[in-house]
Amino acid sequence: MKTLRGNAALAAAVALVAGTAEAETTLSVLLDGNADTNAMMEALAAAFTARNPDITLELENRPGGSEGDNVVKTRLATGEAGDIIQYNSGSLFQALNPVSTLADLTDLPAQDNILDSFKSVVTAPDGTVRGIPFGPAMGGGVYYNIPLYEELGLSIPRTWDEFMANNAKVAEAGRVPVATTFGDTWTSQLFVLGDFYNVLAEVPTFAEDYTANRAKFATTPAALRGFEHLQEIFEAGYMNRDFGVATFEDGMRMVATGEAAHYPMLTFAMATVRQNTPEHIDDLGYFALPGPSADRNGLTVWMPAALYIPAASQNIEAARKFLDFVASPEGCRIMIEAVGATGPYLIEGCELPADVPRSVADMLPYFEQDGRTAPALEFLSPIKGPALEQITVEVGSGIRSAAEGAALYDQDVEKQARQLGLPNW
Amino acid sequence: MIFILPFVYILLMAVKTKQEAALFLFAWPSEWRAWENLVEVVQTRNYMLLLAYFNSTVITLGAVTLLVIFGAMVGYVLQRRRSPWNRVVYVFLLIGLMVPPAVVPTIWVLQNLGLFKTIHGMILIQVAYGLSFAVLLYRSFIASIPRALDEAAIIDGARPWQVFFRVILPLLKPVTVTLIVVQSVAIFNDFTNPLYYLPGRENVTVQLTLFNFQSQFQSQYNLLFMNILLVTIPPLLVFVFCNRQIVAGMTSGGVKG
Repeated sequence: MKTLRGNAALAAAVALVAGTAEAETTLSVLLDGNADTNAMMEALAAAFTARNPDITLELENRPGGSEGDNVVKTRLATGEAGDIIQYNSGSLFQALNPVSTLADLTDLPAQDNILDSFKSVVTAPDGTVRGIPFGPAMGGGVYYNIPLYEELGLSIPRTWDEFMANNAKVAEAGRVPVATTFGDTWTSQLFVLGDFYNVLAEVPTFAEDYTANRAKFATTPAALRGFEHLQEIFEAGYMNRDFGVATFEDGMRMVATGEAAHYPMLTFAMATVRQNTPEHIDDLGYFALPGPSADRNGLTVWMPAALYIPAASQNIEAARKFLDFVASPEGCRIMIEAVGATGPYLIEGCELPADVPRSVADMLPYFEQDGRTAPALEFLSPIKGPALEQITVEVGSGIRSAAEGAALYDQDVEKQARQLGLPNW
Repeated sequence: MIFILPFVYILLMAVKTKQEAALFLFAWPSEWRAWENLVEVVQTRNYMLLLAYFNSTVITLGAVTLLVIFGAMVGYVLQRRRSPWNRVVYVFLLIGLMVPPAVVPTIWVLQNLGLFKTIHGMILIQVAYGLSFAVLLYRSFIASIPRALDEAAIIDGARPWQVFFRVILPLLKPVTVTLIVVQSVAIFNDFTNPLYYLPGRENVTVQLTLFNFQSQFQSQYNLLFMNILLVTIPPLLVFVFCNRQIVAGMTSGGVKG
């Protein structure tokens, strides 16, 4: 904690001389390498440097996925993480040991603009806020092809049974009902993770009970349903023939062009559609993953990634200034201009433009009504087992039954819960 | 033919448009965009690729030179001079081959020495990782060089360092070529070590530039493949021109001693 105190002293020193001329500062920023992330950050950096000519930003990309997790943790552990890092919020944020590795941003002026729902997912165990949102929130639901729906006279399903009935009609018409892309294993988790709104609707205390080891996926019927849905889709033969090797890009192309009717995916996928099949962007609609009852139909929401300042940074004051700018309605507007609107930004006073793509427009009503969104489990509980994607691939390919898969996942999370030192595990 | 197909695939992907490349088909591109893609890849992030080529070349040349000199020297002494210390040295060589290095403590060592985030620090890392292999390769090859040569040189009045540099080192050429090829391809293509030990924008190596175009959720495959193509060319050239020597060196170094 020596560094933490050292930086507090440094911050105080900088605050004392604030107002006098500041020396030229370069902030190094570590990003996840997505094209959208880079585009947003470059636009923000340009606008920020135009206002503060003495501060420039230097962007560096890291890999995504588990290799990226290792890079971030290694750099934080060795004090070489630069001045700003972009990283997931929620359970992955908790795994960074934020109290000792990240700077406290609770008193950042821009925190007043940030919605409380986001603050809760970047709050360290000691109650301090350590991050600001970067990018839009995402929904976990199903993309559908509008022309195909019109052609077959289908309506948007509000229950799982309606969804399966639609699938049956699509299969009859000779199209693929559900695009499935196990070539990118992470895409297999959507039926389980995206179903969490429906889990919470039935078992409102699931997240707490799960964290406290009182509830399990395998023994909670509402939670087990996600795994069962995967199994049902496989058993009904509703997948594309190359489901084992198809990739995320294939999935988005199939649903955009009408080769497939549905593709369960997070809403950030619009960026890929805009790049690969821009002519079909308005053929895509979006609905929340349907649950057992039509009265309680809502969307599972993923919080955006966040920007953090490593506690070991040498330029905390300048970095705070930049984050303050990013979390302002102005910063939000710059991000929307850079990459287009793909979902709501969690900053007060940040309006989306009127001409958003159809699938984004489909998603917004869920956010506008109270109680029609729920955060994904990884934002309510620090536990997320590392092997979920492998298990969902097994269940979705008929290698393992839903009940067995859920039980195996319960074992998988045990390791992580013990690593985090949670009580009662 | 089987060896060429992947390269043809890379080449075809590299000249397509983004939309076509995302289909991953082994098909002729409908629109030839080789030059545009090339320019875009080279210019990305302020000519990062050129800097990366420079860094990778410096690291590779530096590390391989040190590996050859130190590997041959240690191998020579180890083979020629029998002493109880040989066993201890062997144990350390085998540890170097078998025990995977831990990242965070290594970074602490580098930070304390002031070598972290420097090119020469990275060279020393690569030397440390490759030295065991180099020493063992040289040692077994030197065993096939008759001791009579050393003795003749000493009788002719050569000093110890002359024996090594003038007599032995030239004879080690086959195994040196093997080592150069194997290690330079490995070091040039190394991804994880620069990722952890050489952070910073100024310190990119060629393999790390691939992350400009690839990420978990969104990738520009045409540019990615163009980058792969550019990055593959140097090691490919080394391999094509030295292929024969590699095989010769491998077999001649395989004599037990």
